[in-house]
Amino acid sequence: MRAAVAPQADDLILSVREVKKHYPIREGALQRVVGHVRAVDGVSFDIRRGETVGLVGESGCGKTTLGRVIAALADPTDGGVHYSMDGEMRRIDRLEGKAAQTFRRNCQMVFQDSFASLNPRHLVIDLVGRPLKVYNEAASADLVERVVELLEQVGLGRQHLFRYPHQFSGGQRQRISIARALALNPEIIVLDEPTSALDVSVQAQILNLLNDLQKERNLAYLFVTHDLSVVRHMADRLVVMYLGKVAEAGETQAIFDSPHHPYTRELMAAKPDLEAEANVEIRGLEGTVPDPARPPQGCRFHTRCELATSACGWEIDDIVRWLEDAPGMFEHLVGVERTSEFAAELAFDNEEAAGLLSMAVRSEQVPEAMRAAMRRLNLDGTKVEIEFEDVGEVELTVRDDGRMAACVLTPEEVASWKNS
Amino acid sequence: MLDERHCAAPVASVRDLKVYFQSKRGIVHAVDGVSFDIRDGETLGLVGETGCGKSVTGRSFLRLLPVPPCILAGGSVTFHTHVVCKACAGVGCEACDGTGRQAGRDRSVDLLGISSEDMRRIRGDRIAMIFQDPGKALNPTLPIGAQIAEVFLQHRTEELIALAGLPPDTVGAIRRFASQSPRFGDGWLLSLPGPRRAQRLRVEESLAKMVADALAETQVPNPGKLMARYPHELSGGMRQRVMIAQALACNPDLLIADEPTTALDVTVEARILELIRNLQQRRKTSVLYISHDLSLVRRISDRVAVMYAGRIVEIGTTAEVFANPRHPYTRGLMAAVPGADTPRGKLAAIRGTVPELVDPPTACRFAGRCPHETGTCRSNDPVLEAITPSQSVACFIDHPAQSGERPTYERVTK
Amino acid sequence: MTDVQQSRIAAGAMTADTAFRVRMRRLFGVLQGMASNPATVIGLVIIALMLVMAIFAPWLLEPNSPDPYQMPRDWGAVRKPPGTPGHPLGTTNEGGDVLYGVIWGSRTSLQLSLMVVGSTMIVGTIVGSIAGLVGGWVDEVLMRLVDVFLSIPELIFALAIAAVLGPSFGNIILALAVVLWVKYARIMRAQVLQIKQHDFVDAARVIGDSKLNIYLRDILPNAVTPVTVQATLDMGNVVLIGATLSFIGLSEAGIAEWGVLVSEGQAGIASGRWWASTFPGLMIFLWALAFNLVGDGLRDALDPRTEGR
Repeated sequence: MRAAVAPQADDLILSVREVKKHYPIREGALQRVVGHVRAVDGVSFDIRRGETVGLVGESGCGKTTLGRVIAALADPTDGGVHYSMDGEMRRIDRLEGKAAQTFRRNCQMVFQDSFASLNPRHLVIDLVGRPLKVYNEAASADLVERVVELLEQVGLGRQHLFRYPHQFSGGQRQRISIARALALNPEIIVLDEPTSALDVSVQAQILNLLNDLQKERNLAYLFVTHDLSVVRHMADRLVVMYLGKVAEAGETQAIFDSPHHPYTRELMAAKPDLEAEANVEIRGLEGTVPDPARPPQGCRFHTRCELATSACGWEIDDIVRWLEDAPGMFEHLVGVERTSEFAAELAFDNEEAAGLLSMAVRSEQVPEAMRAAMRRLNLDGTKVEIEFEDVGEVELTVRDDGRMAACVLTPEEVASWKNS
Repeated sequence: MLDERHCAAPVASVRDLKVYFQSKRGIVHAVDGVSFDIRDGETLGLVGETGCGKSVTGRSFLRLLPVPPCILAGGSVTFHTHVVCKACAGVGCEACDGTGRQAGRDRSVDLLGISSEDMRRIRGDRIAMIFQDPGKALNPTLPIGAQIAEVFLQHRTEELIALAGLPPDTVGAIRRFASQSPRFGDGWLLSLPGPRRAQRLRVEESLAKMVADALAETQVPNPGKLMARYPHELSGGMRQRVMIAQALACNPDLLIADEPTTALDVTVEARILELIRNLQQRRKTSVLYISHDLSLVRRISDRVAVMYAGRIVEIGTTAEVFANPRHPYTRGLMAAVPGADTPRGKLAAIRGTVPELVDPPTACRFAGRCPHETGTCRSNDPVLEAITPSQSVACFIDHPAQSGERPTYERVTK
Repeated sequence: MTDVQQSRIAAGAMTADTAFRVRMRRLFGVLQGMASNPATVIGLVIIALMLVMAIFAPWLLEPNSPDPYQMPRDWGAVRKPPGTPGHPLGTTNEGGDVLYGVIWGSRTSLQLSLMVVGSTMIVGTIVGSIAGLVGGWVDEVLMRLVDVFLSIPELIFALAIAAVLGPSFGNIILALAVVLWVKYARIMRAQVLQIKQHDFVDAARVIGDSKLNIYLRDILPNAVTPVTVQATLDMGNVVLIGATLSFIGLSEAGIAEWGVLVSEGQAGIASGRWWASTFPGLMIFLWALAFNLVGDGLRDALDPRTEGR
């Protein structure tokens, strides 16, 4: 694995700053906007020349959306992606004319589904030669030679020029996609799950190829994936995302050695290596990812975190979510009157249910941290008044050795739990 | 524990199974002479890459293959049904160790030969299956409860009637009703003869209880509420739990799991895996676990069979196969998974691609991709032979052919 | 592909010619797919015969002067049954030769269907593409307009327009064109919306290709399949509807057109003069049937699930 060299400032090619991407939720005949899905909700990181940044997370964490924003396929709702051009950082969605073209040529993308990303009616020569044609870089005989050159770089050859995508295997198609991305000699390639649809033996071929190309051309990769073993193999630095935000970021090796965020830890525990002991216990996560239209307060992971403390942002929604799964109570809930995200009055249609709730939230039925975070709990007939500690968002903080994590716990606390 | 398993009788035996597909280019030998046993109470992992025939093998147990284009070209899948425990009638008691079954065989049937009516009786009752995409396997127009209730209506009619105290002549009515896939709780009771309202309510109640129990087995929160939900309202992990509840509702002898966690996130996958393992251990159900994921198969299986191009190339106990893989393909597959110490760009990729299975030649199917290959491999077809009592491999390295140069692991031709 | 073909490609000939040959082979594959279905072959044969008849009409039967599309009148042989010398299929009330009507009518029908289908396909494709690509209020306005058109039954709408414009063959073409374009607009819009979502469109955007190029190279070629199928089916339908309008009397009298002939002959059926209506009627039937058979065959042959696999 590559030694961690302190990067030079002029090495920077792409800087993602507080990027947010919200999608409106529309409802009704008039398509009124009733809320926003916060797919990406304030993410920042840098990509330097020749390095691979891994963007990991589970489905719905916003990694693919962020990849599309970086490749300028979608405009950010807020914040921006800055591209280093002539010594200054410029926002890619504000580039025009020649500058926009320069960025376009230097940032390419490889998609997950090689079948869907290659036009089924085009021959390989059209597919790979298209970028060259768009920028008038080559024509006729010259074009053919350039395309052959590109194909040979990805392990294909002249004999493949006049074939359709469906005549290739999945791995070969992904090679065609890579050749197309290389055609304009870019500085950075966004790889969106490039090997997820492939078998492991083919995945190994593609990963080796990507690595060779990177060395030859000093390419930077943004490697978007859900597969930790792949990203550990490929990435110099890692950005772990959960529900639209960065949970942890830093050097890949360091993160794998000691994760500073419980979520990262859970991700690793869920899929042990082939090399690990066969009897290592596999762990999964309780519950489901919360609705990204109403992300949890405080730390977004607190609803599923085993290490959650009272400072993690317990809120009224947690009570409501708990009620939904508790038999015999949600049906009797008639209203929730919020004064804030952290305080509300829950009204039931009978006293018994209200009593049950006020007892339950005092008992083992709810997490201990939730009980500890409760500042007030009042039972008044059919109404239960609950107030939690008001907690701000848990920010991504820089730890020593340049690592970042968004967790209220210290690395030691996370590590001690891992060993128990 | 392992030794005990070795002598355990098989719950199903596949012998020389051949499943072909008709295509424009010719007949594809998707599964070409596969033989293995699934032993009582074990989990057999069936691992291989896309197109190796693992799913087709799994589906042929329940004949869930479209004919045509599929051709069942030969072989047999013998299934040995258990005797239901007499002491508890399959509910689970001390005498049968809570499994509801007794050792000893009721009868053996060839799943490829029986009538569709017999097959229907076995499906979902004695052999159940869970699929990769629970979103597609569940009916979007029916609530969860109704879909699980259907299994009981089909296969547990007598039990249901006994629970509700209805006369035995209502069996037919309930069965008829069940085959028309009505909605849970509404209208179906109308098909019962006579105005026995109280009894109908009892049937409804006992059915709801059975469904709730089945769901509770899979550790879903608030099963009572879940029953009224529709599949699209649930997350992928929850849908897979519902599928498992449905599959295990009738306490089958054999569960076929076809990549049940591939569509799920890793953290959810871990939970589902744990669930399948717990249920399997508690009920002593045999499981055929089909997957492309080596690390996953290693974790869940007692034995593992590696498939390549329509053949089983290696089979053995999980510990043996993973500690000492004998077939070059198994070795290549394991080396291709990126590990913690693999230097970047140095992954051991298997060169070439999977051969087309139209009229495969008499040769090792892995020839052409194998680093150890010799002339023998190109002219002879290796068969699966034992190298230890519990591990078999189909390769000339361990089983020299009659003539020709014998390949070795030392020989590396790249 | 055979080894010979492969080595030929590998050997060189790195020209646009090779690409052209490969594309032709693909087209040939589609034709082969159609040829494997007997019903489609029957349809193709009927269409071929009709085309031959239309093209060689002047050689088969001497054109009537001054206007060959008017029925010749032989007042000496009125209401003659089939088999009459000089009139093998008999004559009409006004002494028109039924065989002449059948043969020259195929030209009229071909003219009608090509003009109607051609114009509606172009207009519908353009409107549907604009609606799908631009979206927003443009899409909303265009699609509501399409809804209005689709809410009136085809035949009645065409009838109303033709009636307002006055009875003439040209007006029938116009009326049908006005009515039928909406189908194509709707199909095209749905296709564009669906194909816009494909990764290969995003891939083209990442390359930086222009919007027009993306439309012309990625979206349009992948969207035309159902439009082509619909057009083939409409080649038959148009003649059917056109014949209906002519039958009602919205075409000029005396024109060599199958619908007109059926209309003129129908009064005689009760008196046993079946031939004047039956032969042109049979032609309408065959024409519509043939194009429907070919349209269905085309749909199967172009199905992306089976194409080229």
